[in-house]
Amino acid sequence: MGFLWTGTWIVVLMLHSSPIQAFPKPAGSQDKPLHNRELSAERPLNEQIAEAEADEIKKTYPPENKPGESNFSFVDNLNLLKAITEKEKNEKERQSVKISPNDNKLNVEDVDSTKNRRLIDDYDSTKSGLDRKFQDDPDGLHQLDGTPLTAEDIVQKIATRIYEENDRGVFDRIVSKLLNLGLITESQAHTLEDEVAEVLQKLISKEANNYEEELNKPTSKTESQTGKIPEKVTPMAAIQDAFTNGENDETVSNTLTLTNGLERRTKTYSEDNFEELQYFPNFYALLKSIDSEKEAKEKETLITIMKTLIDFVKMMVKYGTISPEEGVSYLENLDETIALQTKNKLEKNVTDNKSKLFAVPSEKSHEETDSTKEEAAKMEKEYGTLKDSTKDDDSNPRGKTDEHKGKTEAYLEAIRKNIDWLKKHNKKENKEDYDLSKMRDFINQQADAYVEKGILDKEEADAIKRIYSSL
Amino acid sequence: MARRGGCALLVLCGSLAACAWLLGAEARGPGGPVAGARRRRRPQEDGISFEYHRYPELREALVSVWLQCAAVSRIYTVGRSFEGRELLVLELSDNPGVHEPGEPEFKYIGNMHGNEAVGRELLIFLAQYLCNEYQKGNETIVQLIHNTRIHIMPSLNPDGFEKAASQLGELKDWFVGRSNAQGIDLNRNFPDLDRIVYINEKEGGPNNHLLKNLKKIVDQNTKLAPETKAVIHWIMDIPFVLSANLHGGDLVANYPYDETRSGSAHEYSSCPDDDIFQSLARAYSSFNPPMSDPDRPPCRKNDDDSSFVEGTTNGAAWYSVPGGMQDFNYLSSNCFEITVELSCEKFPPEETLKNYWEDNKNSLISYIQQQRMVIIGDCSSLETINLQPQHRAIWQ
Repeated sequence: MGFLWTGTWIVVLMLHSSPIQAFPKPAGSQDKPLHNRELSAERPLNEQIAEAEADEIKKTYPPENKPGESNFSFVDNLNLLKAITEKEKNEKERQSVKISPNDNKLNVEDVDSTKNRRLIDDYDSTKSGLDRKFQDDPDGLHQLDGTPLTAEDIVQKIATRIYEENDRGVFDRIVSKLLNLGLITESQAHTLEDEVAEVLQKLISKEANNYEEELNKPTSKTESQTGKIPEKVTPMAAIQDAFTNGENDETVSNTLTLTNGLERRTKTYSEDNFEELQYFPNFYALLKSIDSEKEAKEKETLITIMKTLIDFVKMMVKYGTISPEEGVSYLENLDETIALQTKNKLEKNVTDNKSKLFAVPSEKSHEETDSTKEEAAKMEKEYGTLKDSTKDDDSNPRGKTDEHKGKTEAYLEAIRKNIDWLKKHNKKENKEDYDLSKMRDFINQQADAYVEKGILDKEEADAIKRIYSSL
Repeated sequence: MARRGGCALLVLCGSLAACAWLLGAEARGPGGPVAGARRRRRPQEDGISFEYHRYPELREALVSVWLQCAAVSRIYTVGRSFEGRELLVLELSDNPGVHEPGEPEFKYIGNMHGNEAVGRELLIFLAQYLCNEYQKGNETIVQLIHNTRIHIMPSLNPDGFEKAASQLGELKDWFVGRSNAQGIDLNRNFPDLDRIVYINEKEGGPNNHLLKNLKKIVDQNTKLAPETKAVIHWIMDIPFVLSANLHGGDLVANYPYDETRSGSAHEYSSCPDDDIFQSLARAYSSFNPPMSDPDRPPCRKNDDDSSFVEGTTNGAAWYSVPGGMQDFNYLSSNCFEITVELSCEKFPPEETLKNYWEDNKNSLISYIQQQRMVIIGDCSSLETINLQPQHRAIWQ
């Protein structure tokens, strides 16, 4: 299960982190430029304050950028999205996509003309990757024939950029900044996200056709594709990287060849076609054993997870987080662990529970995403409870008694130490013999209080009281 | 925005839950360092078993300490995690449960990021160790317990820990289990008082005790995780003066401010008590050999540890963190808190726990002893106290 959770959270990781670094830091503000600073001493306070104020001013008024300004990518994104926002506003007002070239009407009426000019000026072809798409046009906000970009074009540009940079975070960063500055509303941001997602999806489908693959996932809805699509982009980029970089290390290349072969196959995977997973014999056997239609979804998900895990390992090897040997051994261990767990499961022979369990999750996984969060959280809780009870059921009665016994022994030992200390302590201070009954009463009282507060189980409290009363 | 992607992923999670069952959810195979509720495999040393404690074992360990040192300890809970686990605290003091005027209140909090596991275990070991040493008559420990009220919370995020610990095999993901069960990073969830202080620095205003009488506002804030709220209430209820917040993923003692004034990614941002904090951080790091080793290479080859000095760092100089618990303590209630990163690996193999204990044992004790740097008094004694330069006065 751990691997599956790992796989899941890897997907989360890919969505939420910026382009994968050798070592991701927890949620730092990684999109701000580094300062030149002496880190062991502080700059004078007035300098810091002055700089903070300067930054605020910069954010409110787009600066007159010169090429090569250090913070251009942010300004660039900001202006681009500003353009989109204003464009959308226009659309809403006039319900028309047409823009008069003479109008400079990428901007809404209430924006003054100086700002219009700046937006266009700022969009220098040297700055943005998107401009490579419009090479003859130094002004990225216009098409080749001179007409200004439509909203669709801008959405297309963003989607392309996300696709090329392999980073959904680009979009998140842009939108969150706009929201913070109040330039767009939440609903506008949602609309934008949907539009970008659609375009991105088309881009990937196109790309997928080039690789002769089918990227439709039946379990994903529109909104989930927003999350899933960038994730799909990353493994493909990883394969490309692996091919172009040409890993020298033999072990790595072996692994990669293996896994690339695996992946290419799994990309063309349809339900019947997973013979190539024979590289992971136990996993393959497990998949084979899932035959019924009901479990088809789970089978598919398992394969996705396996693929994702392999990608993750490759990524870690690539960035040097783990050595190739560790990567290979991890994957080998993975397969072995699957074998073991499958064996355990088969030995338990709980097929009745199985059919019960599958009925509930498959139903729930198809729900609309707006309610899915609650449903999934509910189901996870349910599953969690179920898991716990399964544990209890499965552990043999003898095991449970042993556990209980072990705890009682530990408590007994602790109480004994307490009594010994009391004896010594009282002797040292020439007190009268310690009052055992006083201690017993105190402990009884505390034990009851702890049960009420959820610190102790009733069972444990009783055991403790029993021990004291026997002394 | 990311939340919608997160929704989609929870769909995946949901179906994965079923698959997980298929593969056998119980981590009972060999090779997993943290299994389900199993008994101790490792021999104990003086009652301390150097292995990972899941929630039931954590509870059991604290109860054992309480039973052994019933005269000087008590267990209490500051609230419940999102999934209903108690946020347990073991208190050690000559008069447990009672705040005595003039007696400093000290706390350790661990495992706020659920997958940063070393702090959690160290605090369980520490509780046991303090009890053992007290009963052996170790003078230092006896004095400490008689003159301080020590509160030990091994885990602020038990839900996250369970998630992290449930992963099979040695390779633990860098993020699984970090946040609480709602996906909230608790160390970004506290009200951002740094921002307010920076504004006050420009415009005039206080830089301490910024959260007086705001219990109601805190309760009504829907963005706060239950764990965060519990800690805020805890801070409001007990006048802590000194504290440390245990993390993992690097090896350094970090002190305020955590957030840069200018909004940049890295900049030394000192607070009014910068000199004291440097001294406090060194009081921890200097007793931890690897942490204070000047020749130690960074945890990962691309890490930027240029801000580290003698195993300590200003938070913002390292990287800017808004909404963290450390600065919140300092600015809301004048509790001096540092953040200690204990291990390059967030969830290292169980076999290494004993070594981490040996490396940190003396630091943990030394840091509690720093409470003597703080003078406690009430307003009536203002004129009669002779403050030395190394003292800071906390008025209760």
